[in-house]
Amino acid sequence: MRLRAEYRVGPDLKFLANLDMMHLMERALRRARIPYLLTEGFNPHIRLSMGTILPVGLWGEKEYFDLEMDNMPGEDFMIRMNDVLPPNMRIRQCQEIKAGTPSLMKVVNAAAYAFMIKKNGLELGSVIAEILGQEESLVRSRGKNKSVLKDLRPGIHNLTVESKDEADIITALVSVNEPLNVRFDEVLELFANNGVEKELILDFWRRGNYIKNGENFYSPLELV
Amino acid sequence: MKERLFKDILPRVTKPARYVGGELNMIKKDWQQSQIKMVFAFPDVYEIGMSHIGSKILYGLVNEQSNHLIERTFAPWPDMESLMREEGIPLYSLESFAPLNSFDVVGFSLQYELSITNVLNMLDLADIPLWAQERQESDPLVIAGGPVVFNPEPFAGFFDAFLIGDGEELLVEFLDCLEQNRGLDRKARLLKAAAIEGVYIPAFYSVEYKQDKTILKMCPEYPGVSERVRKRLVKDLDNSYYPDKPIVPFMEIVHDRAVLEVMRGCQRACRFCHAGTVYRPVREKSVAVLKKQAEDQLQSTGYDEISLASLSTLDYSGVTPLVKDLVRTYGERGIGVSLPSLRVDAFSIDLANEVQKVRKTTLTLAPEAGTQRLRDVINKNISDEDLFQAVEAAFGSGWNSVKLYFMLGLPTETEADLHGIMELLARVKTIGNRLSRRPVEVRASLACFVPKAHTPFQWRPQNSIAQLEEKRRYLMSRKIKSVKLSFHDSQTSMLEGVMARGDRRLAEVIYKAWQRGCKFDGWSEYFKFEQWMASFDECHIDPAFYVERHRAYDEVFPWDFVDTGVRKSYLSDENEMASIGLSTPDCRQAGCLDCGICIDFGVDLDIKEEA
Repeated sequence: MRLRAEYRVGPDLKFLANLDMMHLMERALRRARIPYLLTEGFNPHIRLSMGTILPVGLWGEKEYFDLEMDNMPGEDFMIRMNDVLPPNMRIRQCQEIKAGTPSLMKVVNAAAYAFMIKKNGLELGSVIAEILGQEESLVRSRGKNKSVLKDLRPGIHNLTVESKDEADIITALVSVNEPLNVRFDEVLELFANNGVEKELILDFWRRGNYIKNGENFYSPLELV
Repeated sequence: MKERLFKDILPRVTKPARYVGGELNMIKKDWQQSQIKMVFAFPDVYEIGMSHIGSKILYGLVNEQSNHLIERTFAPWPDMESLMREEGIPLYSLESFAPLNSFDVVGFSLQYELSITNVLNMLDLADIPLWAQERQESDPLVIAGGPVVFNPEPFAGFFDAFLIGDGEELLVEFLDCLEQNRGLDRKARLLKAAAIEGVYIPAFYSVEYKQDKTILKMCPEYPGVSERVRKRLVKDLDNSYYPDKPIVPFMEIVHDRAVLEVMRGCQRACRFCHAGTVYRPVREKSVAVLKKQAEDQLQSTGYDEISLASLSTLDYSGVTPLVKDLVRTYGERGIGVSLPSLRVDAFSIDLANEVQKVRKTTLTLAPEAGTQRLRDVINKNISDEDLFQAVEAAFGSGWNSVKLYFMLGLPTETEADLHGIMELLARVKTIGNRLSRRPVEVRASLACFVPKAHTPFQWRPQNSIAQLEEKRRYLMSRKIKSVKLSFHDSQTSMLEGVMARGDRRLAEVIYKAWQRGCKFDGWSEYFKFEQWMASFDECHIDPAFYVERHRAYDEVFPWDFVDTGVRKSYLSDENEMASIGLSTPDCRQAGCLDCGICIDFGVDLDIKEEA
């Protein structure tokens, strides 16, 4: 069977690189004695495929992976995995997916990044309104070609502000992967260009990964 | 501290996962409830330190089986170091994020001579005085163990105590002694500790020198401090502590796998080998114990590979049943077995082929020298025939690349021996091309021979940098197409040689080199040879005195006070045998060769399986 799981990566694990995260998950699968399937060949490995890379420095509320394994109830899978995962990591839910379901890397095309911002009298509602009103939002690209200016605007689907007691939180819903990959650090620069200095940003993380279909956003567990 | 690191500091450094702790199976004991608080300091980066088995043993032992606690720290990479200095962050432990100077004991693991500048740098980052004599009552005791401390003298000025020999036999006893004497002052506590076998307190000894700068005598200055310090050793490895839940790092480390120590010691008696002398005698674990340890470790770590470690794993008497059992038990789950180094013979290749059923490992062989004559001199008891058979078996069973280890500058080496290396490589290449369908890859690694304390070659001069460079040029000029040669740096090897047979006068040189910015000397991108030379100059010490000089049999060595169990007369006999090109057999087969260890220490070879 093929299983898709949603998991949380807590703040203590935000410095793990993508490969570290994959090793952590594979080791947990072995400790939990999950009946995973192996690839063929001289160097067999677990048929595990991780979703969009969680950048180093970010923690994540809803991350995803797909796993091929012998039949096992999803409930048992979660219990056994959560028993062996580090305290900062939890499988939140999982479900069986059809054999032909396209991989996470192919379908995830949007992500929500949260930025916790210190209160200092800045009116964040008008900042986001200003950004959303821009025709183009140019920042230095942080991707492969660092010298070019990149227009983030077509990739910014939405910006929202929530006010909490201790700080405000802006959530940016942006496009990822093809055709336009908006990186979290480019969003940080966009904020800086619009008056939200980096020093004010207390924390940032990824809230979720989504599949944008027309004007709707679905979680990878909804569209399988 | 932790919050500040996570928010402000770590986002700005490379590989932040080195500095966060919190890994699977980490042990964080209650600070208040624990007696002696020790931090285990590894003077290299995290991914190297976390690969070391000895550290895993001592970490588990102290935390699980004593009332003391032990936490970990590593040398920060220079980018992290400069941020720590800028931001005023002291070196801290990964468990409690506690500064090093809040511990009772800071214990360094000295695996490599040139890690000493990192020791000084780490003490400085922890705001602990570098010189032992400058430390106050409130400062931690700074101690060291590991293979390097079989000649601790070059580092004597920086340490309050050295623990010599197998640490699992000694460390807890040492910490207990400190706890029992908590009320006493620093010096009185160290005097108590000096009574423990294996503990060496350098400040309690004085050294006098002759006109020719060699040692006249080295004597204890206090009653109750013994003239010689005998190493500690584990007699029964089956019943000694071994961690069943080692820490699993988040980031990739050098040896990222479960490790079984199948035996300690080696009976091959290669005359250049330091570990082969100081870790005598051979003590094996039984196959049943190892199978249990493999199961426990794999269950608690989830690793996909298990490595069989020792000085010469193919000599472990139970290696065949063990490997077959592990492959049979874990292969289906995609868990592989690896053998770190192979003996040069066809048997090894057969066994390696078993291992390969699960995962391909690199084939590395160590003939060490290019001719039979020179291999007899160094007592590396393998023949050309063995080697070629091994290579035939390897290429014939599908291996496609071989790496061969050699040393340059071995005693009595001539041009014919260098020529022999190239001939041997050419022949290996020919065999490969004959047996393999694809072009084979042959690589040779050429290390510079460094004579080490406590070995039969401790009296021999080391090749100078100029000699080694000439040998390198000779080999490069005869390079064979598509055989890759890589050479160890001759300047680094010279400095290793100075430390390996150095004395306590070198501490000043080390201190000055550190002041001149030397650190990570084992990393070629940071090694500053000119700064080291300037430091020697400044101290009026000629490094050639330590490396290039021929030593007489009656010379008193700085390390003579360390009793490894192997007698000096045995070492000099072996050195004489080398001069006339005679080899010495393996004491497992040939019977006792009277090196001294078994008789003097009341131990015996501990071989588990019948041949």
